[in-house]
Amino acid sequence: MGDDGSWNLMSRCCGKCWHSLEYPCRNYIRCRTEGPLCHDDQRCRTLRSERVRYIKEGPNGYRIKVPLASCSIAAGAKEVLDAVKEVVESLGIPSDAVKTVGCTGLCYLDPWLELKAPGMPAALYGNVKPAEVEGILKKYFIENDVSGAYAISERTGKARGEGDVPTLSELDVWRLQVRYVSRNCGVVNPESIEDYIAYGGYRGLDRALRMSPEEVIEEVKKSGLRGRGGAGFPTWLKWRICRNQPSKEKYVIVNADEGDPGAFMNRLLAESDPHRVLEGLIIAGYAVGATKGFIFVRAEKPLMAERLQKAVEEARKHGILGKNILGRGFDFDVEVILSAGAFVCGEETALIAAIEGRATPRQRPPYPAVVGLWGKPTVINNVETLAHVATLMAEGWESFAAYGTERSKGTKMFCVTGAVKRTGAYEVPIGTTLRTLVEKIAGGVKEGRKLKAVQIGGPSGGCVPAHLLDTPIDYESLRDAGAIMGSGGIVVMDDTACMVDVARYFTSFIVAESCGKCFPCRIGTKILYDTLTKITEGKGTLEDLEILESVGRVVRDASLCALGGTAPNPVLSTLRHFRDEYLAHIIDKKCPAGVCTKLLKYRINPDKCVGCGTCAKHCPAGAISKDEKSGKYVIDQEKCVKCGTCVTICPVNAVVKEV
Amino acid sequence: MVRVIVNGKEVHVPEGETILTALKKAGDAVPTLCFFGHMYREASCRMCLVELSNGKLVPACAYPVSDGLEVRTDTPRVREARRTVVEFILSIHRIRCWSCPRKGGNCELLKLATAYWVEGIPVCSSCPLYGRDCLVVKGEPCLGPITLAGCSDPCPSNGSPCIGCRGPVTRKDVLEAAAQFYVSNGVELRDVLEVASMFWEGLPNYDSLKASLEEAFKKALGGGED
Amino acid sequence: MAQLLKLIPRETTPGALAHDVAAKYGRERRYLIRMLQEIQSTYGYLPQEALRVIANELRIPLTEVLTVATFYHQFRLEKPGEFIIMLCMGTACHLRGNAANYEFLRTYLGIKPGRSTTSDGVFSVEKARCFGCCSLAPVVMVVSRDGSYRKLYGGVTPAKLRRIIAEHRAKLAKKR
Repeated sequence: MGDDGSWNLMSRCCGKCWHSLEYPCRNYIRCRTEGPLCHDDQRCRTLRSERVRYIKEGPNGYRIKVPLASCSIAAGAKEVLDAVKEVVESLGIPSDAVKTVGCTGLCYLDPWLELKAPGMPAALYGNVKPAEVEGILKKYFIENDVSGAYAISERTGKARGEGDVPTLSELDVWRLQVRYVSRNCGVVNPESIEDYIAYGGYRGLDRALRMSPEEVIEEVKKSGLRGRGGAGFPTWLKWRICRNQPSKEKYVIVNADEGDPGAFMNRLLAESDPHRVLEGLIIAGYAVGATKGFIFVRAEKPLMAERLQKAVEEARKHGILGKNILGRGFDFDVEVILSAGAFVCGEETALIAAIEGRATPRQRPPYPAVVGLWGKPTVINNVETLAHVATLMAEGWESFAAYGTERSKGTKMFCVTGAVKRTGAYEVPIGTTLRTLVEKIAGGVKEGRKLKAVQIGGPSGGCVPAHLLDTPIDYESLRDAGAIMGSGGIVVMDDTACMVDVARYFTSFIVAESCGKCFPCRIGTKILYDTLTKITEGKGTLEDLEILESVGRVVRDASLCALGGTAPNPVLSTLRHFRDEYLAHIIDKKCPAGVCTKLLKYRINPDKCVGCGTCAKHCPAGAISKDEKSGKYVIDQEKCVKCGTCVTICPVNAVVKEV
Repeated sequence: MVRVIVNGKEVHVPEGETILTALKKAGDAVPTLCFFGHMYREASCRMCLVELSNGKLVPACAYPVSDGLEVRTDTPRVREARRTVVEFILSIHRIRCWSCPRKGGNCELLKLATAYWVEGIPVCSSCPLYGRDCLVVKGEPCLGPITLAGCSDPCPSNGSPCIGCRGPVTRKDVLEAAAQFYVSNGVELRDVLEVASMFWEGLPNYDSLKASLEEAFKKALGGGED
Repeated sequence: MAQLLKLIPRETTPGALAHDVAAKYGRERRYLIRMLQEIQSTYGYLPQEALRVIANELRIPLTEVLTVATFYHQFRLEKPGEFIIMLCMGTACHLRGNAANYEFLRTYLGIKPGRSTTSDGVFSVEKARCFGCCSLAPVVMVVSRDGSYRKLYGGVTPAKLRRIIAEHRAKLAKKR
């Protein structure tokens, strides 16, 4: 029986079903949707197929989807949900038509609503305000009018206003994506195992458990899957090494401690489709012969932790975790561990140390696959990698290998943020060019602005300048351009971004995150940061550029772990591609983009100033005062903190920023 | 036993040992700082870096040997890395050699700094005159605190003050601390400069050095705390 | 998760709580981070006394506890204000002006250099790691000391920050 006592897919259909936690049925997963398989009964069959239809299409074909992921909640999705719940019954729509789902990755539309009525095309509404909900619902369900929607699923010719609304597949942002691992995001209810199974979930596990562990590793090898955490190490190889260790105890860990600023695809996947991640983890555990798995998730992302925890509990309740999983004699359990948040935990040895209660990486080799958690062989995989494993095990390696390039197969999710029109998380085949991703899918920079650079890979990555935008996104091409794939955060910068400031920003991040164990990273990054600060303050010399280069080189070569090894990347890549900006700061003492506060000045144009005093009232530093003689206001440069409030607040635009 | 090639020379070491053992066997020493036998082998200091045939720099003290491993201990990259690491360490080191208990030839940093030509450590670090024997304490304008180390200090060893023949230390914080030391022992700037001018007046940076010294003395006389 | 973040009655002293928490996890060194998380979820920060008790209970030096407590961003050693204003320092937020917002907020609230809390103990201003809400950049989150209330604001400007401050001052006045 379901939680509320009603029948659901996870319940037994009739007394003939003998499945129990003690004596699990081997066909348990397939039986849920295709069943019953152990006996033939038309009534049971209808019960199951009706339920699947109910989940997929909603009661009588009515469906209202509201996304509940941290990003959409922040944008006001909970208020939208409340507004929907309030009006839904008065419109004659069954209240269970309202379904909370995860996030599709189209963050620029948050919070969105997806409506579906029988015979009508599904319609997607973006940036919905709670006050508009009633109007939108009425228009769609009562007047059968889809005008005002952002997109519709298809043209049926039955709804009014269809002509003015594009279909999703006509939009670049959807057409150019391949929704392979993110297929369920925004489709299933992340808090329901039933939903996941109705959409084909745990089929990969079912299939994997019918194979031998070696065959599973072989399958992953054929798919060509490489780690999605950044370095691109072949997943099968890591598993094989770990499997070949003689130790009886082995562990698998999913690294959900996403700390890369500007990357949130792991959070999105785990919040929208947590069971897929869990399924991948169980498969990994089976393949390497582990008895226990850990989900290492950041405490600062509470919703993600909560949903993963819930997924684990539900899976345990239904025998997908625990003893003798699906009757195949495989014992496996999972523990969720809350990380206290440290970027260095992306480094495998540091992550292990964090679970053990310390916090620093150690010299490799031996690799964790040989000597890992508590000295036992351990495999650590990224959230996205494991989600891919679950998907490709369900669909066969060919479905995965059909995408991508010769050396890097499959798809990858990227978070495109910064100065683009459509911020979001998009899944594309590896080998797609940056231009497609940034200009077509994400819509490019805002009107009147010029794209300057694309930063890939977060603090360990580098900046790719606009003229290299045709670089295909794969591990090798990006490395040649001075960046790395990283976890897939892409920050787009237009001409309002100062590249020296960007380098300084990333270095400050590394300085704060360096664990302090080895000298090159602890001291070297501080030297880099101090030198960059000096340059942004206009005190730099040409010699400083040499210091940046030589120190950067040594930090890269001599550091203990990958954090230090990649720390100088933002500096070295901006130095390589944007040397002229450094020179402008050093020689002309100017910041061309007008970002570095020490190099710019706010001034009130006395010809324009009307003496209203708004700026003086709003200046947080009290730096603006009235010049009694002229009656105009002036800024005291000594006191000014350069926050720019006066520029935005002046009613006559008298305040000017001087670069 | 596995075969390891150190700088082209073949040595055999037991499996599970580190590169450092192989280096010792081959007689090619590398500097180590943080390594302490079985008590500490966490590869923090990165002084013992060696280059592998695949171009990677790895710490000899923690990297396990494998059969056919090729190791080079003295390539330009290794030297640059080590030198920079010494620079890093010195950059956060509070150099006060005249009052350091390791003074008199016991200083690891002095050895590394001289071996890799990193400036910053003054002659005092190797000077054998302790406490009340110190010439500055006796009020003499000995240039030890502001002269580059590395000469194995023949002058102070024989009781005569250092005359700065190896050239000056230019690090501002060292000069300031040294000025403090001079002032507290009643040595005047005039006397120091008189000795210093002998060897240093011809240096291109003498003027700026003089200015820094003057400033440091002024700060010290102004009652600035060390 | 639920049992991990469960609030422990506030009457207990930090030391007594630390003692209980240590006992709950069997005084094992590997659960140190979880113990600290639990203490912080009660007090909103890690009181000195609790850290000392934890060190004692685990038979490890206090420095080792402090190493962990200072290394992770989640932990606070200073008592925060009633409301903690966390400015996201992700790349997108940085580029869209949260660095200037941070300066503005500190000046506006008159927070002294080296401190992070206002002298009346109402607001704390902190830089935080990426919240992953980059589409709303720049983002600010306001959290109450015990973590029970949290609200996220997107597209923040100095003018909007003023409103946020006023809103929370009013909220506090109402509570009192």
